[in-house]
Amino acid sequence: MSIIQVEGLKYKYPDTDQLALDDISFEVKQGEFIGLIGRNTAGKSTLCFALSGLVPHFFNGGYGGKVFVNGLEVRQHEVGDIAAHVGLVFENPFSQMTASKYTVFEEIAFGLENMGVERNEMITRMDESLDLLDITSIKDKHPFDLSGGQMQRVAIASVIAMKPKILILDEPTSQLDPQGSEEVFKVVENLTKEGITIIMAEHKIDKLAEYADKVALIDHGKLIDFDTPAKVFSRDDLPDYGITAPTATRIGKALGIKDSKTDLFPVTIKAISREIGDKL
Amino acid sequence: MNTIQVNNLHFSYTPGSSVLNGIDLELDQQTTAIVGQNGAGKSTFVKLLKGLLYPTKGEILFKGKNTRDYTAASLAKDIGLVFQNPNDQIFKNNVISEVMFGPLNIGQDDQEARHNAISALKKVQLDDKLDTNPYDLSLSERKMISIASILAMNTNIVIFDEPTMGQDFAGKEKLKEIIWDLRDQGKLIICILHDMDFAAEVFERTIVFNQGNVLADGPSREVFKQKNILQQAHLEQPSITQIANELGLDGNYLTDEELIQALKEKMTS
Amino acid sequence: MSTMTLYVDKKSFIHHVAPLTKLLYVMVSIAITYIIPKLEFVLFVTLTSLLILAIGKVFRKILPILALSILLIISIIIVQGFFHPENQTVLYSIGFITFYKEGLTFAALLTLRVLNMIMSFGILILTTKHDELVEDLIKKGMSPKIGYVLLSVLQLIPQMRATMGKITDAQRSRGMETEGNLLVRVKAFFPLIVPVVLNSLHNTRERAIALEVRGFNTKMKKTFLNLSKEYQYTKTIQSILWAILIVTIAWRILS
Repeated sequence: MSIIQVEGLKYKYPDTDQLALDDISFEVKQGEFIGLIGRNTAGKSTLCFALSGLVPHFFNGGYGGKVFVNGLEVRQHEVGDIAAHVGLVFENPFSQMTASKYTVFEEIAFGLENMGVERNEMITRMDESLDLLDITSIKDKHPFDLSGGQMQRVAIASVIAMKPKILILDEPTSQLDPQGSEEVFKVVENLTKEGITIIMAEHKIDKLAEYADKVALIDHGKLIDFDTPAKVFSRDDLPDYGITAPTATRIGKALGIKDSKTDLFPVTIKAISREIGDKL
Repeated sequence: MNTIQVNNLHFSYTPGSSVLNGIDLELDQQTTAIVGQNGAGKSTFVKLLKGLLYPTKGEILFKGKNTRDYTAASLAKDIGLVFQNPNDQIFKNNVISEVMFGPLNIGQDDQEARHNAISALKKVQLDDKLDTNPYDLSLSERKMISIASILAMNTNIVIFDEPTMGQDFAGKEKLKEIIWDLRDQGKLIICILHDMDFAAEVFERTIVFNQGNVLADGPSREVFKQKNILQQAHLEQPSITQIANELGLDGNYLTDEELIQALKEKMTS
Repeated sequence: MSTMTLYVDKKSFIHHVAPLTKLLYVMVSIAITYIIPKLEFVLFVTLTSLLILAIGKVFRKILPILALSILLIISIIIVQGFFHPENQTVLYSIGFITFYKEGLTFAALLTLRVLNMIMSFGILILTTKHDELVEDLIKKGMSPKIGYVLLSVLQLIPQMRATMGKITDAQRSRGMETEGNLLVRVKAFFPLIVPVVLNSLHNTRERAIALEVRGFNTKMKKTFLNLSKEYQYTKTIQSILWAILIVTIAWRILS
């Protein structure tokens, strides 16, 4: 049983002629970590919006095909109802803070209050999310007094507390420093261990190659490829889609060294080092 | 000569909490990357260079003159600074007038400003969008407009604050071209970066900031070799350097070509 | 400083009065100064508000706001003192300026009402946690959306100031002077204000999305993390306030 099912999804923003999403179909199993890659304006963000119901409910526009998340057809349910199944985190940590709460703890409560979660249950869930994101030590701070990386983790915690089965992250590390990015990747990997399905749009190809189970390559609103990182990154036509392969794959290709396990080019630094090490 | 001399530079926004504590540097003709964690003082440092802030202690000398004696606007002829967020500056309703704003401010006449603006837009490949409203373009295209609007001012020193943020592969390639082109024109390029791979590949010199101090400074090759120092500053080594380390190779490698070349030689021998 | 709050965290009896009781005080004390338009009575109400501010240890905090209203008060005195339609009794004259008793009495009444209004709101705002007040109002049936707007405005003003700082830096870097004569400042207006407006529109839109995916628009019944605090004397104080209101209305009708 797939937790996400997309069937022939087409979408066009209001007052535009071009399809932002053009006949996209794919399925995701529970607990998978899917990396979303493609050049800027390829349609990655729009796909993220479509999976969380903001497309079509918030943005309107022309819509065709079907999207099911955790058994719900997105088009038939309101964003607020989908929110219990799908969490969304995006680029700018600052604009994800509600700006109406005085502590991180209260900030995380916001979604739960809206969904009418009973108070004891609320506190249990919040403590769990604080723990999962490793931010218990800052729970009494004001959300705006945090660093970007901390704020982004609060944004993720706020969404995770709502117990979604699916978490969508749209370039969550692009405004963070290296340490902040690493924090986010580690935390997200942790979540897959909890059975949460992850969809993450990212430009940091090396990191995605390390963490993702599968990669979806998108260009001009079309799904070009959807497969394991090794398969997708072995493609020779990546530059046509504005993508460069991970460092390990580039080196592997140049030297003709493949991963002995998959018979494809290696995608992680560990794998390439192991393979070259064996040959030296 | 485009030399900036920084002597014992201290700065704090509020007394008691120091942002920069005693920086001594000479910035000269090399392309220079400044790396470090958020809050390490990088942005504050470039704002001081640009005269947007003044030192609490110490001095910055540009062409032998103290920046304290200039306003930021009067330094605009010599030093260009591209900010992180293009939305903090774009206010005109078409691309060409946005890019001409700076050149006109520093005294270029209309024709000269237009000429410089168009050639800057060519470099960022937006010269086919002169009459478009910047807000009808994507954020990464607006970032390119904000870069062009500084390039058009034709300053001898160009500072970038995190230009790779949110850029895809093509955007980074474009930036690389621009930086190398500026270097070839003999300009001083200073660039704040979070992307170590980009810093290693493109910049001759790298300065590591940590908690308001310079932790390391030197040729990028030397700086990125020092794993411990980078860890102390909460940074990673470039991917290429990491692979070379894993393999226990001697020497330091910064680009694909260097590593591939070395490995080819090793594997055939 | 990333936040701005007018709440003054002190320990006083007034801080321990329920938020809605203080809100009721604001309404009653303003209403009765209109129901009974007698100078002595309004003066008494105003002094009461002043006394409550002092008990709440926030009297100093209200002074800057009172200072700002001086201009308004002076203009009231001048306009009413000269031009009040019932002016008859000359109080005194300075050269060709003549003050009339009727006008000045009316001006004094208006002034006291304004002062009382500021001070009674001061009691509420300075001694009450804003989120607690808003949550209490939502529990009483106010729309959570209005509640959100009330709370977020205070937090977003400092953020807008920070954005303004960045924009100023960006334009100065492009050679725009921001200091100098009037012409320079007028020229700097659009380059500064356009990005501020567009930036805040952009942030508002992003924040709207963030609120949306956290269920801000669901029709479910809201719950609250913060428990309603128990306050003493709430019933007694509220009853007294209602009684005062009724008595003044009765007095007005009967007299």
